[in-house]
Amino acid sequence: MNVSLNEVEATAKRATRGAGYQWGLAEEAAKAVRWLCANDIDGCGALAGLIERFDGVDLAERVPLPDDTGWYGKGSVLCPLIAGAALSDCALDLADRDIRMGPVAAPCLLFPFAAHAARQLRNTVTVSWPAGAAVTDGDRISLTGPIGTRVDFITVCRGGLLGAPNRQMSRAMPEQGVWETLNRFAHRTYAPATAESRLLGAGAGLTDTD
Amino acid sequence: MTPDVTHIPRRPPETVMRLKRLGSLHQCRLSFMRVLTRRMSREHWRFSRPVFDIDAQGVGHAVYTATGPARSYSLVAFAHDLPPEKRSDRVIADAWDATFALFDGIPGPEDIERLSRNVPLQEAGRVDETELSLSRANRSVRLWAHVVDALASGRQPDPGQIDAVGYLMRTTAVYGSGKFGAADRETIADRPELHVPFQAEMLSVYLTRTFVRDLVQHMARAAGGNSAADLDPAIARRLGIGNSTGLGMAPFIVNHPVLFNNWIVAREEAISRVRGLTKASAEEARAFRGILSRSGRSIDRWTSEHPIQMRKLADLRRDLAAINDYVARDDMQSGRSWDRLCNWSMAALSEEGQELIASLILEPYPDLVDGLADCMADSNADAFRIDGRMPVGTVRALIAESFGWALKRDWEATENCARAWYVSEEKLEPRLGARFEEPIAEYEQPLAPARDAAAAHAGLADWQDDQPVAAFLLRHPEHRHTIRRAQMSRIAPYGEIRDNTIGKNVLPIDMLRAKLSFFGATHFDPRSDRWVRICMYAGAPYPEELTEANADLWVYPDEAK
Repeated sequence: MNVSLNEVEATAKRATRGAGYQWGLAEEAAKAVRWLCANDIDGCGALAGLIERFDGVDLAERVPLPDDTGWYGKGSVLCPLIAGAALSDCALDLADRDIRMGPVAAPCLLFPFAAHAARQLRNTVTVSWPAGAAVTDGDRISLTGPIGTRVDFITVCRGGLLGAPNRQMSRAMPEQGVWETLNRFAHRTYAPATAESRLLGAGAGLTDTD
Repeated sequence: MTPDVTHIPRRPPETVMRLKRLGSLHQCRLSFMRVLTRRMSREHWRFSRPVFDIDAQGVGHAVYTATGPARSYSLVAFAHDLPPEKRSDRVIADAWDATFALFDGIPGPEDIERLSRNVPLQEAGRVDETELSLSRANRSVRLWAHVVDALASGRQPDPGQIDAVGYLMRTTAVYGSGKFGAADRETIADRPELHVPFQAEMLSVYLTRTFVRDLVQHMARAAGGNSAADLDPAIARRLGIGNSTGLGMAPFIVNHPVLFNNWIVAREEAISRVRGLTKASAEEARAFRGILSRSGRSIDRWTSEHPIQMRKLADLRRDLAAINDYVARDDMQSGRSWDRLCNWSMAALSEEGQELIASLILEPYPDLVDGLADCMADSNADAFRIDGRMPVGTVRALIAESFGWALKRDWEATENCARAWYVSEEKLEPRLGARFEEPIAEYEQPLAPARDAAAAHAGLADWQDDQPVAAFLLRHPEHRHTIRRAQMSRIAPYGEIRDNTIGKNVLPIDMLRAKLSFFGATHFDPRSDRWVRICMYAGAPYPEELTEANADLWVYPDEAK
């Protein structure tokens, strides 16, 4: 598929909402997926994998519970959208301390939130995990090592040297199956059409065909 | 010595952002169509029609190219033979009289071939990064037939019938900004000619109007042969392009609070600047009187069969008579004449008349007003991010600033939440339903900021003023949407509608008109409480006629004609 970044954002928002997240988080997921695609990372694939994995799971189980050593969930694995939003909310705290969390599903979805923190801090931010690291200056990102669909723990800290950054893209190329998955979840937000809604919901009134 | 300018503050959001007032806005110097025609004439854009390959049945395609200082843009138009039973303005339609794409540059044969397989399908097709908009139009059957028949038999069409409808075709959707595969707004927003919002879409409609004029002439010649008349350019000039707009536009202004704020602020700043002028020159006063008179002619031609708009039009005509009386009695030059006029209007006129005055006083002052158009885009992507360190007390105050009026309302009461906005699975059409009569609540879109603000405010009740809002949001992700909007209101004080968007009596046409007035639309004609027809570019010079002298005030019918 060759889709515009606005299509990515709109589809990701509906899909996340369709997966049971609140609208506010769905908006953030959408921006995050768009940012990844604009930086040549398969954000659509990451989101599709995440919402399939968490489908039917109580999201309260995926909320990070901060303690003195880091952010951990009640359930088995943290949601990167909820953790990412929380990270974004306390971006300026990274000036004073690193944030550790884990385990995290679809961890690349944290990158856009780290990028926001970088813009807030006017500094680079490094996200590191056992097999690699990513450095972002807010707009671009450089990656070393694979990240996969789950990591046991992640550290987010201020600073780091941006390496050769990923290409900036004006389009996204999600796999057909990924795009279908997102649209399948998005479809849950659409009300079934009824004869009544067809007539009244869009406000049929005076003739539209003269 | 008297200073020439005094400071008049902008009208406050609690005055401006009421639905009744937003539903009474009129076009002004900052309208996107006028911004475009001014630029094209100033920069001496060139226009051509490299392809017009349409048969005697009116089927084929054409290309219209507009070339500015740095780039060309081409409307690729496809004309179809549409059976009458297929003609519908609704989003759920699947065939149209004509379909269009605005191509970024000059299309080659392979581009045309690709577009011919996709553009006629509209939402069911795909366009690419080289396309800036995708649109379609349907004929006004009665006016189309009248104009073709008249010209084919060697006569000019009846001006009365032209004015009664106003257009030969009306667009029923103009999609831009990444829709159906088109280029994202972000990829073109840095171009000076496309920086002001909706310039690509406005260019597409401007060229569409030219295509429609050419097509009707072509069909008349096909029917009448050598005896067919050429459409009188003065009559052609009166023809606009109609537009049928449904509910999809209403969510737009709620979903883009910073962008909508920027439009409103630009106009309010312009109004405040002009009101602040201590005196007006004789020339400025004369210019205003001339525009007022021409505006009256436009209002004379504005008709509607919808009871709501009929009442509003009666108000407006009464207001116009009062304005004319006022202006006849006043020198319009001394003693802060514009501020006096506005203050008088607030007490004496309906919102229709007040907003007409607010738009018209800008006309004599291009130097004070026109530059504000450059501030109407939204390039502040960071406004989206929540500042989690903000203390709860500050968030509370921000919510109360925009929604103080909503906090005490009983949001459980049927009349306050009778409606719900949703998207139908049928071609993803936006709809507004009856919450307590249809199974739609679980599909509700986040388009009730006032209700949600009241809920967030209540949710914050047990939190200390000095706690960071991040802690609250971790516990209550359901309020992220509202907290984000509350924080946006710091930079976008006009971003929130100060009315209930889900109440029993909400009129979506008020939201449609607010947006369409910024496009520069005239002659709003609601077809129900949820969709509206308008006219665009009526009176505008066609590309070959466009000069700096006629590029701006065409929206006001000429006195002499």
